[in-house]
Order: sequence, then C-alpha cells, then structure tokens
Amino acid sequence: MLDRDLVAEVLARARRGGADFAELYVERTRRRTLRLLNGEVREALSGLDYGAGLRLFYGIEVVYAYTNDLTPQGLRQLVDDLVRLRAGQVDSSGRGGLDFRVRAPVGLHAPSVEPEDRPKAYRLERLREAEAGARVDGRVRDVECSLLEWDQEVVVANTDGTWATDRRVRTRLSVMAIAQDGAEVQTGVSAPGLSVGLELFDHHSPREIGRAAGEQALTLLRARPAPAGTMPVVIGNGFGGVIFHEALGHLLETTAVARKASVMADRLGEEVASPAVTYVDDGTLPHGWGSSEVDDEGAPTGRTVLIERGVLRGYLVDRWGARVTGYAPTGSGRRQDYTLAPTSRMRNTFVEAGEASVESLFEGVEFGLYAKDMGGGQVRPGSGEYNFAVREAYVIRKGRVEEPVRGAMLVGKGPETVRRVVAVASDRRNAPGMCGSLSGTVPVEVGQPHLLVSAIVVGGEAR
Amino acid sequence: MTPEEAKAYLLRRARERGVQVEVLGVWDRELGFRVREGSVEQVTRADRGGVGVRVVIRERAGYAYTEQLTPEALDWILREAEENASLQREAVAFLPEGRALGHHDLLGEGLAASADSKLALALEVDRAVRAQESVRRVTAAWYHEREHHVHLGSTEGAEGSYRTGVASLGVGLVAQAGASLKQGYHADWQVSFAALEPGRTALEAARRTTRLLGARRLPTGRYPALFEPRAFAQLLGAFWVLWSGKAVAEGKSRLRGRLGEQVASEPVTLVDDPTLAAGLQSRPFDAEGTPARRTVLVERGVLRSYLTHSQSAQALEHANTGHAWRSYRGVLEVTPTNLYLQPGHGVSLERGVVVAELMGVHAGCNPVSGQFSLQALGLWVEGGEVAYPVEDFAVCGDFLELLRHVVALGDRLEWEPVPGAVVGTPTVLVEDLSFAGS
Repeated sequence: MLDRDLVAEVLARARRGGADFAELYVERTRRRTLRLLNGEVREALSGLDYGAGLRLFYGIEVVYAYTNDLTPQGLRQLVDDLVRLRAGQVDSSGRGGLDFRVRAPVGLHAPSVEPEDRPKAYRLERLREAEAGARVDGRVRDVECSLLEWDQEVVVANTDGTWATDRRVRTRLSVMAIAQDGAEVQTGVSAPGLSVGLELFDHHSPREIGRAAGEQALTLLRARPAPAGTMPVVIGNGFGGVIFHEALGHLLETTAVARKASVMADRLGEEVASPAVTYVDDGTLPHGWGSSEVDDEGAPTGRTVLIERGVLRGYLVDRWGARVTGYAPTGSGRRQDYTLAPTSRMRNTFVEAGEASVESLFEGVEFGLYAKDMGGGQVRPGSGEYNFAVREAYVIRKGRVEEPVRGAMLVGKGPETVRRVVAVASDRRNAPGMCGSLSGTVPVEVGQPHLLVSAIVVGGEAR
Repeated sequence: MTPEEAKAYLLRRARERGVQVEVLGVWDRELGFRVREGSVEQVTRADRGGVGVRVVIRERAGYAYTEQLTPEALDWILREAEENASLQREAVAFLPEGRALGHHDLLGEGLAASADSKLALALEVDRAVRAQESVRRVTAAWYHEREHHVHLGSTEGAEGSYRTGVASLGVGLVAQAGASLKQGYHADWQVSFAALEPGRTALEAARRTTRLLGARRLPTGRYPALFEPRAFAQLLGAFWVLWSGKAVAEGKSRLRGRLGEQVASEPVTLVDDPTLAAGLQSRPFDAEGTPARRTVLVERGVLRSYLTHSQSAQALEHANTGHAWRSYRGVLEVTPTNLYLQPGHGVSLERGVVVAELMGVHAGCNPVSGQFSLQALGLWVEGGEVAYPVEDFAVCGDFLELLRHVVALGDRLEWEPVPGAVVGTPTVLVEDLSFAGS
C-alpha cells in the first residue's frame, strides 16, 4: 500500500523532532453491509476506509495524528504538524534510515470463500433463508437480518524496524426477531461471526440462526418480569462469558492497570478469583472473531493466561503499557481503525472448562436465576462496579429450571463476583461481540462454560 | 482531489450514467489533549473526510462511500451503490427536489486560540480536580475540539455547505473515603473555546463523584425518583428513537398511530430545535437539504409530531420535519438535533431516591419494548434532605409509563451529548419507580 522509503522518511522526521519511537499504521478496509427487514432491503452500503495513523512516543507521552491524505506531501505535513504540536525537547540526533524486518501474514485466518467470489444476490438469498428460519410461528411479527463484511488490509511500520502487514476478513450474520402477543412485544437475537469470508454460511446455517432468534423472542413473550434481589445465579455458556469480560477482563488491560485505575493493579501472584477460575485471552484461535496474525502495533498475537486457578498471572499489555509498567507486551495492542491510537484490548477471552456437570450447578440452588443468554454490559475499572443485561433468563427453584423471566440486570463488583464462582462446568463455548473502549470498538470473543455464582444482585421488578 | 472536487466529479459521472445521486462530502479537523496528574499523555491531531453517495435508480436507493478520493475509487462507489440499489424489490425511494441552500459558517472564530492555550485548559482542570478533598487520582483530563465541514449536492439541484464546531473539556477521577471507592467524570461542551471554564468543570466532577462516597445499599422497593439532568438525558438518549419517523414507519415504535393522544403527563413538553443559537447540534439544513426548523414533539403531554425525513414523511403522510441525517460512511437515518424537555417550575422531593447517574444504558434499554433496567448511583432523601448516598441498585421500568408519572420538572436545562444527538433536560421528578437493591 505504501512506499517503504517514504515511510522510513516519515518515521525519521518524527525522530528528528525528538520522538523516541514512531509508528505509522495504514489501513484500507472494504466494508459491505446488507440489512433486510421483512424480506425488503433496508440498507445496502459499500465503503472504502482509507487512512493513516501516526503515533509518536516521547517517553510515556503519546502524540497521535491521522489523515486520509496518504500522498508524500500529506504524510510529511502530518508528521511535521505533530512534531510542532509537541514542541520543545527537540533532539536533532535522530538516527538515519530504517532497515525494516518485513513480516507478511501466513494466512492463519484467511477466508476460503472470498467476498468477491459471490454476487450480491447470493448474500440476499442467504438472508432470506435466515428470515424464513426465524418465522417459527405467526407471533413473529418482524424479522431483521443483516450481513456485515469487513476486508481490512493493514501495514504497521515503526522505528524499531517492524514492517508488518496483515489482512483481516470478518463476516457476521445477525438476525433479530420481534414477536408480539397482544400488547406484549419481545425481541430475540442470534448473531454468529468469525474471521472468515462467505464460508460463514457453511459454519452457521442461516436457517438455524434465524430459528434461534425466533425461538428466543417467543420464549420472552411468555416470560414474566424477573425477580429482584440478591440470589445465586447460573450463567450460561458462550455469550455468558460477557460477565467475565466486563467484571474482570477490562480490569486486566494495562490501559487501566498502568494508571493504577484498576482494582487489579499490582496484584500479580495474588489470589484474586475463586480457585475454580482459569481465565485466558487468546488472539490466535483459528478464525476467531477476535483473532488476527499481528495486533495493530505489528506484534504477533499470542495466548495470554490471565488467571490460573484463581491466581493473577498476567495482564493484557500493549506497547505503551509495557513502557509504563515494565511488563512484556502480549500482542494486545488494538484499535478500531486508523483514527484511534491502539491501547491494550481483549481478543478472544474465556473461562477455561472445569469438571462439574451442567446439571450439578443447579442442584443446590433453592431459589435463583439461570441467566442463559446475555445482552451487553459496562464496567468502571476504578471501582470494579459492573452491570449487564440478561437477554434470556429463567427462575431456578429447588434445583429445577422453571419459568422464563425478562428484564433482569445483573449488578455488582467484579472482584467480589469472581470470588463467588463456586462451580464451573465443562461445556466451554465462545461467542462474538463488539467491545468498546478508549481505542474504539473492536471485535472480540467472550466465552465460558456454564458456571454458578453464589450471589449477585439481580435488578428485576420489585413488587 | 478535495471533497468538493470529488462531489463535482460524482455529480458529473452520475448525470452521464443517467442516475440520480445525492453526494455528501464531509471534512473534519480535530485537535485533542489528554493529560493526567500534571503530564501530557496524548496529543491528537486529525484530518478526516470522505464522500458518500445515495444513488436512486428506478425508485430504489443504494449507498456507498470512500475516503480515498481518486477517480477509480469514486467510480467504484457509483457502481457499488447502483448494485446495492438493484437489490431492492420495493420501489419507494426518491431524492427530494433540491434547491440552493447557501454557504453557512456557524463556527466563526469559535475555536480560534493557540494550541498551547488549549493544552493549558486540560492541565488546569487536572490540577484543580486533584486539589479537591477525597480525590485520590485523576484517570484523565482532556480538551478536544472538532471543526466539521459539510457539503451537499444532488442531481436534483440541492447545493449548499456549512461549517460547525465544538470544544469540550472533561475530567475523570477516582475518589476515596475509607474503603469506599467511586469513579466519576464530568465534561462540558461549548461551541466556543472561550466559554469553557476549567474551574467549574473540575468542581462539578469532584462534587458529582465525592458525594457518592460511603454509599449504603438501597433496599428493594418502589420509591419516588428525582432524576438529575444527566441521568434523564441518558434515558432520553436511549429512547428518542420512539419518535423517529423511520422507526414509526417500520413498525418499531410504540408511538405509532398515537398522534394527538396523551402519551405523557401534563408537565412534559418535548422539543427539537436545530436553530438554537449556540446549540451543539444546530445546522442550517439536514442531510437531504431540508431547511432547519423547530419541532414540538410532545406538548403538555400530547403527542404532536414525529421526527421525519422525506421518505418517512411520505410513508406516514406527515410533514417533513427536516431530521434526515447521514454520515458520509452510512445510510440515511432520522435523528434529533438539539432535543430538549421544556423546563418547569422546580421540584422538591420529601422521601425517595435522587438518581444521579445511570450505567449500562446501551445494553439495559430496549427502545422497541420501551423497557429499561439500569444500574444506578444516587442519594437517599428523607424528610426533604439528602440522608446518604446509595449504590448497588438498579432502576427498572417502561419509558412511556415513566413519562406518564412525571409530576414536576426543574427550572433549568442542562445539556448532555448522547449517541446521535444532544439532549437538554431539567431535573425530573417521577412519582413512583421500581428499585432493585439488597
């Protein structure tokens, strides 16, 4: 995408301007979105994102600039403006030319069906199949299906000599079913995504994905308002892992740890969770929604054990975080796109399987909640307070899963919740999500087996 | 090519190909400083822009955009947009008849100041917060500004441009008293750099956070609730889509078919006004070139209007209120601009909960069903006085139901940016709400 001599010149200008590290990130992303409501195309959008982000370090101070103007003049202007903004401390002894170590992708997550291999009409047919699947009965009133495709090419070059290129092709099918019974309206959602091309439809049958969304909407129609209060909660596998993502994962990013803005800072080697919990972040899972060959700082991604049997073993460390904390980078520097400087982020993060059977988790529960599928959530790392919405939930009475309930919100403090995990089953599964933080919204997987937490505040309807 | 040259190129090529096209060219300039505990952490400078097209062929619309402004990329988006249009079965799309819209500068000299003086503001707010009692540390203090240029042109004759801008100053902090930790933030937004006051921002951030220290748990129950403006703005930010003509036409809004009905209590008057002087979302015309005007959505509790653009207005046989919005990277949407709840004559709470902040709004609100269940922080009021802060609880309810239980409104508006708009609200007293706690 870019001339190496030009990039070397831009980086050298930065160093002459006093920066002790400079990195140029260039991105060219083709996006396609196709959204249908009740069989009609409501949104058909194609686009090309194209831009460069330049990041300079002056010690632990960061300056960042981005532009769509990738001409030689544009890039020179970018670096000169940035250096001028960070005036002073100029060291004219910046070293000369750069000898880049070129790293090309080997195709670990490469698509087998390229986006250009199928016409738009093929996509439309698959979406119509998903819609047919979602119409499980007449109460399913509206069905919205969408297909998101990203084809991102990146180059990352820096003054340490990194020249890494990567291509990330991601595809996601999303189905939302709206069911109505009298005045009652409820929605069900199913939305698988992987780092693949259009072979996504071979991994996930559109009809089945549609059916899952339709059935969830119907379940919620007969759901009563959730109970309110503090109670034991069994959290379902797959997207249930969002609770750990919120309550624990965000607290382990150096973005928070380095600023001592996380209650998990400076606690390596300490027991921070129940011994039943082993928590891992792995950016190398083949075709994982959050996988890539290199991160957005050009470093190879890896597998990072965060918590091993309850003991804190590691953090998610980006280049800036490594400078501040001294921890080794973990290939976790990620950004939404060229408009944002990378920060430490999760990739595919999950609780490892335990040995309990799923049935045994429910056995001892007198009265509690089975949170089978989750919505999204939020956390404040400084206090550990989190909340998230439960999409599909059931009441547990005397060890049995009984009627569905809706509108439940789980509320608590992450460090307390992870200590209250009393049993972990063996049925781990991951699910895709979009995670928002300082460096924008990035694709991640969350995951876990079914697990039992002894007490969580459930925000339902007080009566 | 510049965005303006790209716009001219696309209009020419579209006319050659005999298709209707509406071209939106956007160029943004940004400058930001993020500081923490006396040192500069990040400086950001940016130029970003691109062009997006809405193509209409045989009453079918397709969209595409590019940030690479070369003839090849521009031809690619025209082809893609035409293909995207051809996927539609329904033939209902049209481009509105255009007109000369003029060239407007709403920003003027609003952001004219040196970069150093902007950085100094961020450093000052950081210092001022740390000087407050119980503040343990600053997580970040920031100054950010954005200058926004919009060019609109269509083969149907629309032609115009405008320039707006906004500057913001904010700070996040962690406060501590004994074992009680609270994280909080406050930010101010202005259309003029000179209107920012670091001392005020710092005091407000510290006050909002430290008053919640030592919070107790709230017993589960139903209580009267006094929403502070930020909390109510968050709710309105999640639920304005009920008024979206696009959502109404697609059958996704519970306000469908209810014009003229009482949908809220008498104190509630909800207005959207893109013509407000110094409004953060003020603009001379919308993304289709419809001139801006004030729209009353709810008048003393009665539903008076939806927010519409040309297509939703036609589908609903409703006036076009000029609320089309499009990013060059997206499709045409309907959004509010400066949306506000008309202030009342003041509120007082004898016993109940002051809801200071809501969390988890993106996940905990369902705009289709109208239901919400949200983590909240607040203050317990007894005998008309704040008794102590409360935490670890959730508020649950139905937004339209809540609007029917509004009993009084404060007398002063506060503005809060929310996704897609800026919302102004006074404090809002609701007579009865469900709280889930211990």
